[in-house]
Amino acid sequence: MTTLDTAVVPTDVGTVDLEATDLSSLEVEGRQVLVASFGQGMPLLYLHGLCDLHSVLAPEHPPTFLSALAGWGRVVAPALPGYPGSSPLGRLHEMEDYVFHLVDVLEALVLDDQPLAVMGHCLGGWLATELALRRPDLVSQLVLLAPLGLHVPSSGVPPVFGALAPRGVGGFAEARRILFSDPDSQPALAALPDDMAESQQLRWFGGLAGAAAIGWKAPHFQSRRLAQRLHRVGAPALVVCGGRDALVPAALRSAWTAGLAGAQALEVPDAGHALVLEQPGLADVVTAFLGWR
Amino acid sequence: MNFFSFHLMPWPYLPPPRQFLAEHEAAWVTLPNTEYDPVRGRDLYDRYLGELVMAEELGLDGVVVNEHHQNAYGLMPSPNLMAAALTQRTERVKLCVLGNALPLYNPPTRVAEEMAMLDVLSGGRLIAGLVVGGGPEYYSYNVDPTEARARFSEAVELVLQAWTRPGPFSFDGEYYQLPYVNPWPRPLQQPHPPVWVPGLGSPGTIAFCAERGFGYMGVAYYAPPESFARQALAYHEAVSLAGRAFVPELLGWLTTVYVAETDEQALEEAAPHLAYFQGNLAAGFVGAGKVWMPPGYIEAPALVQFLAELRAMAGAPRPSDPKEAVWRRTPLVGSPETVRQRLLDYVKELRIGTVLSLLQFGSLPAELTAKSMHLYATEVVPYVRKEADDHFATLAGTP
Repeated sequence: MTTLDTAVVPTDVGTVDLEATDLSSLEVEGRQVLVASFGQGMPLLYLHGLCDLHSVLAPEHPPTFLSALAGWGRVVAPALPGYPGSSPLGRLHEMEDYVFHLVDVLEALVLDDQPLAVMGHCLGGWLATELALRRPDLVSQLVLLAPLGLHVPSSGVPPVFGALAPRGVGGFAEARRILFSDPDSQPALAALPDDMAESQQLRWFGGLAGAAAIGWKAPHFQSRRLAQRLHRVGAPALVVCGGRDALVPAALRSAWTAGLAGAQALEVPDAGHALVLEQPGLADVVTAFLGWR
Repeated sequence: MNFFSFHLMPWPYLPPPRQFLAEHEAAWVTLPNTEYDPVRGRDLYDRYLGELVMAEELGLDGVVVNEHHQNAYGLMPSPNLMAAALTQRTERVKLCVLGNALPLYNPPTRVAEEMAMLDVLSGGRLIAGLVVGGGPEYYSYNVDPTEARARFSEAVELVLQAWTRPGPFSFDGEYYQLPYVNPWPRPLQQPHPPVWVPGLGSPGTIAFCAERGFGYMGVAYYAPPESFARQALAYHEAVSLAGRAFVPELLGWLTTVYVAETDEQALEEAAPHLAYFQGNLAAGFVGAGKVWMPPGYIEAPALVQFLAELRAMAGAPRPSDPKEAVWRRTPLVGSPETVRQRLLDYVKELRIGTVLSLLQFGSLPAELTAKSMHLYATEVVPYVRKEADDHFATLAGTP
């Protein structure tokens, strides 16, 4: 295990020539899938998380982190089932169904590079790992940012959805507290403002329903089988976690790096769970790992 | 015209609302159960069951128990146990379990079995309430809320088949697969006990009841009566859309009732207990604090609208007249004259054939509950019953 303990410096996004978001709607096995892509060049499949592109940010306004990546390659980001623009799970009840849905999406995307670099954040990190386990032939490199999905006996059952439950009055402070290192920081307040506009509430609650369909009964984003399978991930992997991530506590962070032998691991000491929103500077680490620079 | 006594069996010993909400976020899901004292709880069950037995003695038509989990709001995680006790303590009244939250039972044939037991035990007096379950229950029981409606709908089908189809047979559903469905006993009422479904106005639930010929019982004790009126009109429309004849008894209004000698006395006596009900017990379900409404339990637009209504209600200026403040949400608090006239107006206007009266609410003590129940049963019910029955008789045959 390599630990990159470099301080993460924010990328100067002013120097990146941003491509406009390309939005398309795919039909995959009777389900609609909204796909946002940014940038040109080597493709990277990006699977989003609970508080991320598609879940709090409209695809037209990707987070700086993804825009920065798009200066080096092509980021292809489908909205997961149930998220705005994509059909709900329907008859997909289990991880098995979910992974094969992603395989269908990959086939429909007809990306040049197969196998492909896959990056997942939070919920997306779990899905990326499960995909890499079942279809190693499709995944060339794996980037996991604050991934959910792993269970260790000491980690307990995290009350994710309880903490994210709305309030009659008073906004989203509790959600910000579990997702961000600083609930009053600019990225936190921009993602989950207390006076959230109706359109953004629809995105947030609609997305949570999409996440609940796979995360509620795993139980609660913790597969009991993943730890024993993790050694089978063959693709070179980079795991990045925040040192103050309430959803991926220290025991789980260690379990990820212990399970993924040979993975590069980076812990950003002051970061919370919503790495993609809090840490745009990670783009430098990711592009270096992918060999894009 | 049916008059039922509905009981939540709440925990009445929490601190007053202001203090409670300073210490706790809600009365649901996470309120520490160390607040529950089993010694007081024993007396409370005895008292509450006695109040339902009293409803029979006072000539009401039925009693209603219901299911809630992990909260101070209702102390009947198993309403079937309470209904079983009532089969032995009552002789005449209908026993309505409103209801069993089907997705919380796996397999839901458990509900078919227990309700058949209750029907046989009671000599065919059961009204079977089938319900999706409240949002907080999905946190407490850890059932996937995104499947709630689909599971409910399939479970209703399974329960009805279990009651009506000769067993053994196999059931091959999306959620439930059972090689042998063959419950003993079978219900006494044939083909099966009447089915009622409580609802908060969801168009899907209203249409479902209308299409299946189930009773729709509008839960409306937090909201102003206009909110129930909208539900009632939607039910009328759905019944006619389904091509069925309208049966008044299948439309129910679940509402708080308190009767005292005068309006002033009723308002004064009820006020602190209504405040406890709305401020303490409903916290966590409606109100300014945490709303235990799980993702996917209702569609996102409905949730956004629900939250907007909560905010509007919390932000609305309180009427300066304290009477108006109470009557805005609970119009059936007053003298016998006030309550019977208002009730009759709603009954006639909305063609409600079943009134599920919440006669004990919040921290309302035993003496006041008994006094109000007596006045209601003697001064209100006979009058409204006669007037409403006459009214419905003149309407019979009209759409």
